[in-house]
Amino acid sequence: MTSMDVQEGKRSDLWSRIVVCINAIGCSPLGAGLLVVLVVLPLIPPFNQEHFVRWFIMGAFLAAQAIAFDFTAGYINVVNFGFAAFLGVGAYTSAILANEMPFLIVQPGISPWIGMWAGAVLAGLLGLGLGWLTLRLRGIFAAVMAWFVGIALMGLTRNLAPLTRGSMGLHPSTFLDTTSNLPYYYIILAMMIVIYVTLRLVTRSHIGLAFKAIGQNLDAAKASGINPTFYRVLNFTLSCFFAGWLGSFYAHYYASLTPRSVMHTAKTTEVLAIAYIGGRGSIWGGMIVAFPFVFFIEYVRSTFAELPGLHMVIYGALMILLMIFYPSGVAGMVESIRERAEAILRARVAVGESDAQVARAPKADVSQK
Amino acid sequence: MRQKLPLVKSIRRTISENLPAIVVLFSTVVLAVVVGGAGGLAQIINSIVTGGMWALMAVGLALVFGVMNIPQFAHGEAFMVGAYASYFVFQVLRRNLENSSSAFLRAATPLVAIAAAAVAGFILGLFLEKLLFYPLRLRSKAGEWVMNAFLLTVGISFMLTNGTTLVLGANYRGVPQYWSAAPWTILGAPVSVDRAMAFIISVICIAALWLFLSHTRTGRAIRAVSQDEIGAQMMGVNLNFIYPLTLGLATALAAVAGGSLLFLFQAYPTVGVSPLYLAWYVVMMAGLGNIAGAIVGGFIVGILQTATQQFAGVVWTDVIPTMVMIVILLVVPSGIFGTDVKGISEK
Repeated sequence: MTSMDVQEGKRSDLWSRIVVCINAIGCSPLGAGLLVVLVVLPLIPPFNQEHFVRWFIMGAFLAAQAIAFDFTAGYINVVNFGFAAFLGVGAYTSAILANEMPFLIVQPGISPWIGMWAGAVLAGLLGLGLGWLTLRLRGIFAAVMAWFVGIALMGLTRNLAPLTRGSMGLHPSTFLDTTSNLPYYYIILAMMIVIYVTLRLVTRSHIGLAFKAIGQNLDAAKASGINPTFYRVLNFTLSCFFAGWLGSFYAHYYASLTPRSVMHTAKTTEVLAIAYIGGRGSIWGGMIVAFPFVFFIEYVRSTFAELPGLHMVIYGALMILLMIFYPSGVAGMVESIRERAEAILRARVAVGESDAQVARAPKADVSQK
Repeated sequence: MRQKLPLVKSIRRTISENLPAIVVLFSTVVLAVVVGGAGGLAQIINSIVTGGMWALMAVGLALVFGVMNIPQFAHGEAFMVGAYASYFVFQVLRRNLENSSSAFLRAATPLVAIAAAAVAGFILGLFLEKLLFYPLRLRSKAGEWVMNAFLLTVGISFMLTNGTTLVLGANYRGVPQYWSAAPWTILGAPVSVDRAMAFIISVICIAALWLFLSHTRTGRAIRAVSQDEIGAQMMGVNLNFIYPLTLGLATALAAVAGGSLLFLFQAYPTVGVSPLYLAWYVVMMAGLGNIAGAIVGGFIVGILQTATQQFAGVVWTDVIPTMVMIVILLVVPSGIFGTDVKGISEK
């Protein structure tokens, strides 16, 4: 009996230690389990075909973007409408730095593994500048200004033809010399996890508390001594930094860049839709939604090839319906289910405890006697 | 001397209060003169003509923001709907009237097509309000409304653009010319009849809107709602009538712009993107919700655009105006003509 107890105690001790570790990086055990599934799934037969792996990559890319986007939109309530443009800045910077071809005026030939950080820093600096200029205005102004700047950046990219080849597009080198998609999947998955953990830890700290306060009630936040502009600029800069970082993945995976294909407002709208369907202010909502969504959308696109744009209409319809009828999104849905389950569980436990008390009561009497 | 002093003071105060507007207006006039000097009178006239249409778009945007508090992102899609409506009506009418001997009928065909655009736009606005904004308003909390409405319009824009691609395909549909008459000569510069008519239509629409807002009971109710929603309700204004009407009017104005500029912007699922951008630009510059400012702003932007194209090249049309806008917003966040919308700046 005692050995069994000790074993069980050890096991639960180990388990709780694992839970603590998982929590420390901002995951729940369920989330960590899902991540493991994501890591393993592309190796299992029906999913290990190249086109499925490509869908997985698209899903992870979209999920990572949605995380970075939601960090701004969900927490400080500023919609970064130029998100795709910042992503494009990162993509172009890293692509130009990696360039060795003679068709551009510069051929630095820097490894994309270093260039990606340069792209991220440049996008972050641009975000810092824009945030510093516009984030003292109310949310809608900042959103529209970010949109204007995004359009301007796209125009600039199109015009700086000696550097970017304009709308003819760039064909940067890839990260790896392989035709297989699987290594790229693990790269983008790792990037996604890094972004998630970083932003999750930030939002869990006192900084995240300040973000939430600003997003919920600006005047109350100011009254409690929070400098809204500082925190908003910090938030915006971080989000833009990661957008630029992700852009370099786009550049060195797809190996094809045109201003329209990365920097257009429609790209921002796609990310926005995923982030909001996932649930604003949750960070993980977009991640959960992105994978099934990409599979669904790609399935629709390949099945109804004679109806171009159908998948986009579904996108828009879903977004409108959610916005009106379920504004907290999938994350909100999961939260409410969990709360309900916990309430039921608690009720059961309470019933069980009272039963135990009833059972124990006579025994106690006996022992007293 | 003493009696004159207040006058000088009041003039000085008027100037200092309206300094941004005066500076911008003055530099616009200078810009117009420079453009005219470099590119001839036709350039100025062209920019005024397109400016009239941007004013039309921007007035609708300002109206919707001022009255309903919606930052309308689907305004460009109203432009698109107008362009398609005009195109189809015009094609059908032209086919049937090709052999008609009546010159009047042939001249009136484009006007009927543009009127059809207005009707289509109005119906679109009614549907949007009744189907989408009304349920959202019931569910939205007071502080979240502006952002929620904004995101909803993003979804609407996404759906209308892609829905059009789905139904009509991604083909360009345009008419090379509405009126095949010889160009008119205005101050010695040739101006095509289409452009001149577009300008006349924009002036008529704006004037009609102005009269409607200032001289009718319903128009005054709309303005009352934009000033104070609760106060207007207490005076017996029915918001469930005012909101659909306002959105319908605004989208109808954008649709008229789309219809009348069909010769310049061919109907295409994403044709609304650049008019939307320009309309937002005008509204941000003039001050959100400021209708009179939007009218003037439309012409200013028309001239700014032409000047950019002329001196920096077509490719810089997006970049330079954005820089100008950043400067304007830094100096006067509430727009050059000011606005009644509260809480633009954090300060």
